[in-house]
Amino acid sequence: MERPVIKSVNFNAFFGTNHVVKNVNIEIPKHNAIAVMGPSGCGKTTYLRCINRLHELTAGATSNGEMLLNGEEVYGMHPIFARLKIGMVFQRPNPFPNLSIYDNVIAGYKLNGLKLSKAEKDNIVEQSLTKAALWNEVKDSIHKKGTFLSGGQQQRLCIARAIAMEPEVLLLDEPTSALDPISTSSIEELFHDLKKNYTLIVVTHNMQQAARVSDKTAFFYMGELVEYDDTKTMFTNPKDTRTQNYITGRFS
Amino acid sequence: MTQFEVEIEELKKEMINMWVLVESQMEKARQAMIDFDKDLAREVVLKEKKRVNAYELKIDRDCENMFALYQPVAVDLRFLLAVLKINNNLERIGDIADGIARYIIELPEPFNKDILEQTQLLRMFDDAMTVLSETKIAFETEDTTLARSIFKKDEMLDEINLKANTVVAEYIKVNPDNIMQALVVLSIIRKLERVGDQSTNIAEEIIFYVEAKVLKHHKKA
Amino acid sequence: MRNVNIKYRVAKSKSIQIIIVMLAFIVILPLLAIILYIFKEGATKINWTFLTKIPKPVGEAGGGIVNALLGSAIIVFVASIIAIPIGIFTGIYLSENKTSKLAYWSRLSVDILQGVPSIVIGIVVYFWLVKPFGTFSSLSGSVALAIMMLPILIRSTEETLKMIPFSLKEAGLALGLPYHKVILRVIVPCGVSGILSGVILSIARIAGETAPLLFTAFGNPYLSYNILKPMHSLPLLIFNYATSPYDDWHNLAWGAALILLTTVLLLNIITKLTTKRWNVQL
Repeated sequence: MERPVIKSVNFNAFFGTNHVVKNVNIEIPKHNAIAVMGPSGCGKTTYLRCINRLHELTAGATSNGEMLLNGEEVYGMHPIFARLKIGMVFQRPNPFPNLSIYDNVIAGYKLNGLKLSKAEKDNIVEQSLTKAALWNEVKDSIHKKGTFLSGGQQQRLCIARAIAMEPEVLLLDEPTSALDPISTSSIEELFHDLKKNYTLIVVTHNMQQAARVSDKTAFFYMGELVEYDDTKTMFTNPKDTRTQNYITGRFS
Repeated sequence: MTQFEVEIEELKKEMINMWVLVESQMEKARQAMIDFDKDLAREVVLKEKKRVNAYELKIDRDCENMFALYQPVAVDLRFLLAVLKINNNLERIGDIADGIARYIIELPEPFNKDILEQTQLLRMFDDAMTVLSETKIAFETEDTTLARSIFKKDEMLDEINLKANTVVAEYIKVNPDNIMQALVVLSIIRKLERVGDQSTNIAEEIIFYVEAKVLKHHKKA
Repeated sequence: MRNVNIKYRVAKSKSIQIIIVMLAFIVILPLLAIILYIFKEGATKINWTFLTKIPKPVGEAGGGIVNALLGSAIIVFVASIIAIPIGIFTGIYLSENKTSKLAYWSRLSVDILQGVPSIVIGIVVYFWLVKPFGTFSSLSGSVALAIMMLPILIRSTEETLKMIPFSLKEAGLALGLPYHKVILRVIVPCGVSGILSGVILSIARIAGETAPLLFTAFGNPYLSYNILKPMHSLPLLIFNYATSPYDDWHNLAWGAALILLTTVLLLNIITKLTTKRWNVQL
C-alpha cells in the first residue's frame, strides 16, 4: 500500500479552550480527490487549515497530534516550507489585484524572491493556466490585470497560482460556494484532471458536490471524524447513522 | 464531456455487451436445437449464463451508484430507470435461452422435422431473435419508431403461440409415440412467446426514456 | 386627509433640499473669495526677478523671494524624508497589531499629537534642537514639521491598509510567503494609492505652516542651503512682510501668498489624480 500523502494521528485543534477538532485519524491516498463534508461548525474548515498551518495564525488557536505530509511531521518543519508544499484555494477568489494575470500565476515565486529565467516563468505560467483550464481564455490578455475576469475565471486563476508551486497537496476550502452553477460545474470538471497530478482535499458544505467530485469522502460532525469511506459506499450504504441522517437530509 | 456523461456512455456500452451476450445465448440454443448439439447447449447453460448474471449485477450496481452520486433528473433519470428495467428483462431472456438449452440437453433424440415445420417453431425462433436484435438497435440509436414496430412483431409471436396448442394436439393424435417431443416443442414455444413479451417491455422502456411517454398497460397504437 | 399629508411632506422635503444646496454654496463662497482675492493681488507681483532674487534692504525697490522659495522646498523635503518612513511603518504596524499594548499607546499618542497646537510643537523642538546646539536651523524646522505630518501619515496608512481584505493576506500566506513579505509585497502595494494620497496630503498640510518655524528655522534674509543654519520660508516671509509698513514688502508677501496657495491647491488636485491613477480595484 503506497504511503498516504497526508496522515493525521489523534489530531486535535482548539480555539482557546474551544475544542473544535477532536481526535481525527485519517489517511489520505495520493492522486485522489477527498471531499470533507459536514454541517456548519463541524470543524471541517478548521481541520483543513491545520494541514497547511494557517490555523495557528489566529490568536489563541492551538493544535496537537500528528500531521504527516509524506511521512514528515508538518508541525516539525518551518511553516513556510509546509505551505510551499501544500497549496490552498479559498472560498472567495482572491487573486492579487495589483498584479497582472501572468504575475499572479508566478506570484509564489516572484514575491518569495525565487529567481527564474523568463523561459521558465513563461513555461510555468502556460502550464499552470492550461491545467486550470484558463489558458485559452486569457492567453491574449495575460499581462493585463485580472479584474475583468468573471468569478469562475478568477477562481481558476487562484487554482493556477496554487498549482504553479507544484504542491504535493491542494487544499480547497469551499471553492465553488461563491460561484454560479455553470462556473461551479466547470471547476468540478477541473478536479478530475487535477487529481492526476495532485492530491485534492475539498471542503464542501454541498454534499452533492462531494458525491460528484470525490473518490473518498470524510464526514465531520461536531468536531469528530464520524465516517471516512469510498464515496460510492458513503452515499449508497453509509455505516454510521449520523452519516445517513446527514446525507438523507434528516438534519442539515 | 462531464464525468457523468462519460459514465452514461460506459453504461450504454455495458448494456449493448449484455445484449450481444443474450443474443448469442439465443443463437446457440437455436443452433443446438437444430443440430442436436448438446455441447453447444451446455455452453449456454454453464458459461454464458454466468456472464449474463454478472453483467446484470454490475449494471444494477452502476445504476445505484449513479443515482447516489449524481442525482440525475429529466432524460438522465429516465435513462437510468429504463436501464434498470431493461437490465432485468434481458436477464430473464437469458434465463429463457438457458431453459431452452436445458430441454435440448435432456432430449433423447433430435426433433422430428414435421413437428418443427407444423408448429412453425423455427420461424418463431427467428422472429424472437429478430425482435431481440431490434430492441438492441432501438436502444442504441434511440429509435422509437423501431421500438414501436416491436409491438406488432410481438403480436405475431402471440398468434403462433395461440395456434400452437391446436397444432400440437393434432400432431399428438397422429404421432402418439412422439408425444414427449411434442410436449417439449410446446414448452419451447411458450418460452419464445415470453421472449416477445420481455422485448415488448424493453421497447416500452425505450419509448419511456426517449419520449417520456408511458405505454405500459396502454393499448399500443 | 391623506392627500394633504403628502403635499405637506413633499413641500417639506423640497425645502430641506433647497436649504442643503444653499448651505453647500455658502461653504464654497469663502474659498472662492480667498482664491480670487489672492490671485488678483498676487498675479501682478510675480515675475522673473521675483522668483530669482533675494529681498532687497528696506526701502529699495525690487527684490524677490528666491531664498524663501528654496528654503520652503528644502525644509519640506527634509521633513518628508524624516516623517514618511516613520509614518508609513507605524501605520503598517498599527494596521497589523490591533490589540497589543504598544499599539494602544501609539494610537493614543497619534490622537493627542493631532490636537497639539503647532506653536507648541515649535517651542518643544526649540528646546530639543535649537537651544542645545545654540543655533536656529532649518533641520529643527523640518523636525517640527515632520512631527506635524506624522498623525496624517499614520492615520491614512493605517486606514488604507485596514480596508484591504484579509483574504489577500491569507492568499499570500498560503503561497508560502513569510509574514513580512506578505505585508510588504502584497498588502502595501495594494494600498499604494491610499498611502500616496496620505503622503501628499500631509505635505500640503505643512507646506504653509508658520508657527513651528518661528523658533526653529527662524528665517534668513540671505540664500542658504545649509540645513544646520537658519533658513527662510514662504510662510515666514508672509508673516514678516504682510504686517510691515513697506509697500515693496507687501507686494512680495502677496506674490508669496499666491505661490503658496497655488502649491497647496496643486497638491490637493494631484492627490485626487494619483488616487485614481494608482487605485487598485480590490
